Formats: sequence, structure tokens, C-alpha cells
Amino acid sequence: MSPASLSLPEGDEAGTATRYGRLLPRPGTSAQYAATTAWWALDISAARPAISAVVHGDASGDWVSALLAEVRIADIDANNLHLLGPLGGRGRMIGELFTRFCPPESWKIGADLILAAVASYPPGAPLTRNITSIAFGNGWATASVDPAHPDIIFIAVGGVLTDDRSLWAVRASEQRYRNLFHHMPSALIEVDSRAMRPMFEQLRRQGVTDIARHLDETPELARYSREIVRITDANRSALELLGAEDVAQILGSVDFVFSSAPDSAKRVITAHFEGRRNWVEVMKLRTLDGRLRDVELSVTYPTPPERLDVTILGFVDITEKLRTETQLRQLEADYSRAARISMLGELATSIAHEINQPLSAIVTNAETSQRWLSRDDPNLAKVRQLTARIAESGRRASAIVQRIRGMAARRAPERAGLDLNMIVEEALLFVRHEIESRAIQLSTAFDAGLPRIHGDRVQLQQVVVNLLVNAVQAHGDGGGRIELGTAAGADDRVTVTVHDGGPGIAPENLERIFGSFFTTKDDGIGIGLALCQSIIAAHQGTITAVNHPRGGAVFQFSLPALR
Amino acid sequence: MRQPPVIAIVDDDDAVREALFDLLQVEGLAAQTFRDGAELLAYAAADDFACVITDVRMGEVDGLELQRRLRARGYPVPVIFITSSVEDATRIQAMAGGAAAWFTKPVADEALLAALRSALDATREA
Repeated sequence: MSPASLSLPEGDEAGTATRYGRLLPRPGTSAQYAATTAWWALDISAARPAISAVVHGDASGDWVSALLAEVRIADIDANNLHLLGPLGGRGRMIGELFTRFCPPESWKIGADLILAAVASYPPGAPLTRNITSIAFGNGWATASVDPAHPDIIFIAVGGVLTDDRSLWAVRASEQRYRNLFHHMPSALIEVDSRAMRPMFEQLRRQGVTDIARHLDETPELARYSREIVRITDANRSALELLGAEDVAQILGSVDFVFSSAPDSAKRVITAHFEGRRNWVEVMKLRTLDGRLRDVELSVTYPTPPERLDVTILGFVDITEKLRTETQLRQLEADYSRAARISMLGELATSIAHEINQPLSAIVTNAETSQRWLSRDDPNLAKVRQLTARIAESGRRASAIVQRIRGMAARRAPERAGLDLNMIVEEALLFVRHEIESRAIQLSTAFDAGLPRIHGDRVQLQQVVVNLLVNAVQAHGDGGGRIELGTAAGADDRVTVTVHDGGPGIAPENLERIFGSFFTTKDDGIGIGLALCQSIIAAHQGTITAVNHPRGGAVFQFSLPALR
Repeated sequence: MRQPPVIAIVDDDDAVREALFDLLQVEGLAAQTFRDGAELLAYAAADDFACVITDVRMGEVDGLELQRRLRARGYPVPVIFITSSVEDATRIQAMAGGAAAWFTKPVADEALLAALRSALDATREA
């Protein structure tokens, strides 16, 4: 069914050719009724057993639902279509259950009229009843039969049009809505979720308040909900997104939309139950032609006085965006690793020195052991001691290699509970030699009771090493001083501070020191501090740079304590 | 009777210090260890040592500074450097300051002991 035909219900001749043909006159062609009267033609053939049961007193319980369960729409006229709204055009309503389109408030009246018209039950029952209607003041509904169509009951609905103009205004407004809906470039589908209301009411009567848990405990409920909520319309963008060629392919239960995202369906139901206005979430969607996409779903629930049968579902295909984001994260990780490796290169001498110490001890101890063993009376106890020391130095060298490997490795960030004191000590491993070789005094002040933080060990080490290397490079050749400290700060934060004895940061650079590609070094690339800020930000922390009143620059970063 | 020679070992790394001490011990040489130059200089009987074996890069008073200060005090004690530093400039400075020998880590025991014996002989003869 093309959008054009949907937007003009009056001209909707193109309804499916039904076995009924056209039963109703065009509006205004009947002399007996006003031009504004709205008509139903209902097929009650399958309801005869239920009708019979009522007449013979065999009906029990909810006889209204039982009777209407088999009453189907045989025809509907343009006025009624206007009043009900373009729920899918005449063609899509023919053959559907009467109860699908008639408001539940009117079901009993409908059943009463059917009984009166078809079975004259109870005897003397009136064929005309007063009704409440939005469109009509003093509204009424009248049932009649036509011997030419024994299985059809005609119901006319009318009254004083509350405002002639307003009916036209409503029609025009619906026309505009229809146009807008179908021409929107974003994917929209319209669903009718009225059937959820009785279900919700029952749940509330049962005292259910935590609907989310109730849905988890009663999986059939979510499945049932997905069945009873019906798609009533879709625009072209939605058809494209869903991989459908024709809207007829997707009309019906909304279940398939949530086939790859059952938990999303539960949350949509929960939001509806809780009376929210909107619900937005990202979910997986399997199209009709089998593609799996990531979509952002937005649901807008109707609130009175809006039409309660129109719930709009919007979809935005974000598969490409997510893919790009994943690629970006991968690039960031690669970039971060490149910076670490570059840093390792700069610190190669330091690292070599660190490893050389245990190696030196190993060689000397081994040679000493050999001297003992070549004696006539070797001091085996001593050899044992020396051998133990060799093993320990070997382990120490291995630990240093591990740290280096850790820095150079290509790995995804791993978050864990960490002790920042340990991270700072391990970072010192890489830089201590640099500090000492320039005769820079290092003083440390570690807070023994430092709370743990949540983060990635290698990345945070990278930040500390970067700050320390900068601090070292802030000094010239004449020695200096670096103060390194950790502290538990105010409001549950943990801070690391590096205060150097250099000339400080030029005031004009203070603002942009963490900017990308900022550097004061001749051979600097300027990615270090920007990367530090990025890492600290990713840890929900902050990093600052100020000049100390007594001289030198103070770099400090703080992270939230692990709770 | 002449006192047996005692050698001062100066290095900020515990394992290296212990290893050198034990090497000297297996060869029957007495030694005393110090964490850095400052510790040695503060030692009352610093001028009693027959030889000083030291690293270059250490905390407050590094090897070169240590040699300078020992000379300034008038101690003729021979200084042997064992270091990780590979910089030529440092080696030239050390030798110019009167160093007896310069080795890079890890040091071969034969070479170190030979240099040590040579330095001790020179002291004895002095």
C-alpha cells in the first residue's frame, strides 16, 4: 500500500476487495441520516453460538468479550474512519476484529446492540443507545439489520457535531500528521499499544510495582506484550531500515522488531508501565532480509488527550557510527602504545642501567662460587648462599623485563583496583637512573594510608613516567630537586604530585600546556601531556599544572578513590 | 706489624655490594661496604683504607666527587671505578682525577682482582 493512498482515507477506494463488497452508502447519500453519521457494518456470523448462549442463559462470566471475540468488520465508512483516525485505512480494517478498533468503553454497548438487533434479546431491548463520544454531543448509536445481508449488523453512530469546523480541523490535522509521518527522512513506525492498558491495570490491581522484576519472573508476559502491540503504519525510511519492500510485510505484531533485543522490549514495557513520556536506548535489530544492525530506538508514549492508540517508534541506524567509534578507540590505544614505546626508547639508558645491576651481581657471585668450588675444601655453605643470591638477582632482572614488556605491549586497557603508591614506585624504576645521573635530588612523600583507585596500571604508570621525565628535563645540567608525593585528598580523591626545581612554566603556556602538539623542546613532538590528560580523563580524574610560589612547576593529577 | 689491607666498597645497589664483598672474601681480602660517597667520607677512619672500589652514579656524592674529595683531604688511596656508565667523558674525567682503573659492569673477576692487587702493591710500596 503506497503512502499516497494512506493519506487520503476519503478516496480510499483501493481497499482490498473483500467478500462483502461495499455495504455502506457514501457519506451524505442516505436521506435518513445526517451527513456526519458514522457507520459500521459488522459480520456476526461467527458470533452466533455466543449470541445463542446468552439468549439461552448459558453464557457465563465475560459474555461481552466472548460475543465480540468473533465479530469482524465487514465495512466502515469514511466518517467513521475519520473519527477513528487513519488507523490503516479501510482496506486494512476489513476483516479485523471490531474490538481492535472500537474503544473498550463501548464494547458492552456494541454487544448489547448486537443482541438487540440480531436476537431481539432481551425482549424489548432498544436498538438505539446513548453513547459518549468525542466528536458528538448527545451521541447515540443505532443498530439495524438488512434482510439482504443476514450476517451483517449495521451500527450508525451520530449526534450533534460539537463543532463542525473542529471535525474538519481534526481531519486536516490528521492529514498533516500523515504527510509528516510519511515524508520524514528518519525511520518511524506507528504502533497501537492500547491492548497493554488492561494488562497494566490488572498488574496494578495485583499490586505489582516493580514491573521490571515481574517481567523477568514472568517471561510469557513480555512475549505476550510483543504479540498484542501491533504495527499500524511505517514510513519509507522505516521500510528501508527494516528491509521491507511493502508496509504490508511488517503490519501486525511488533514482536519481530525485538527479536534480537528481548531485554530492550522489557525496558520499553517498563517505561510504558511507569508512565514515562519517552524511552531511548540502543539495541540490536535483525532486518527482514537478515542483516543485524545497531539502532537507536526512541519510543514516544501517547498521553491523553493524545490518541492513545498511536505510539511512535523512531529508529536511527547507528551501526556505522559504532563501528567508527570502535576504530577510534583502537587508534587511541595504538597511539598511546606508540607514545609508551617512544618513551621507553628515551629511557633506554636508564633501563639498561637498572638491568645491569642485578646482572653484575649475578656474574660476580657466579665467579666467586667458581673460585670456592675450585678449592680443595670448598665452603659449600657460602656457595649455597651465593647461588641463592644469584637466583634472586635473576628474578629481579626478570621483574624489570616484565615491566618493560608491560609498557610496550599491545593490550586493551584493563581496569583493576590499584595502589597508586606502587604504581609511582614502579614508574620510578624507569626514571631513577635519569634522575641520579643528572645529580638531581629526589625526595618522596608517600601517604601510607592511600585509598585504592580503579584504573589501568600501565596507562597510569605512563602518566607518572611522563611527568617525571618532564621534571628531569626541566632542569639543566646543574642538578636540582624533584619532590614526588602521593596523598589522600579532599572528597575521596587520591593525588599524585610532581614538583620540579626548574624555571617553571611560562605564564602564556599555562593555559595550553595540555593541548595537543604543545611542546617547548626542540625535538619534542608534544604528545606527552595531551596523552596524559586523555588517560587521566578516561579515569574520571583531573590533571593540573601550576607554578609553585617558591619556584618550579607543580604537576598534579587526582583520581577518585575506589569505593 | 702492618695491618692487613681493608678495601672500601662503595655502591648504592645492595646486591652489587654484597657480591663484591664476597669476591674479595674468597681471595682472602677484607672489605667494608658503603652505600654512597657521603657515607664513606663521613666514616672516621676513611684514610685507613688500602683501596676504594666505587660506582660512579650514586645518590648524594657520586664516584667522581668522592675521588675529588678524597684527594682534597690528601688521601692518596687508589680508586677503582666499576660502573654501568658508558660515557667516555666520565671515564676521561676519572682517569684524569687519578683513578687506578676503570671497569664497566658486569666486571670480570680476574681483571678486577689484578687491578686490585696492582693498586695494593703500589700502596704498600708507598
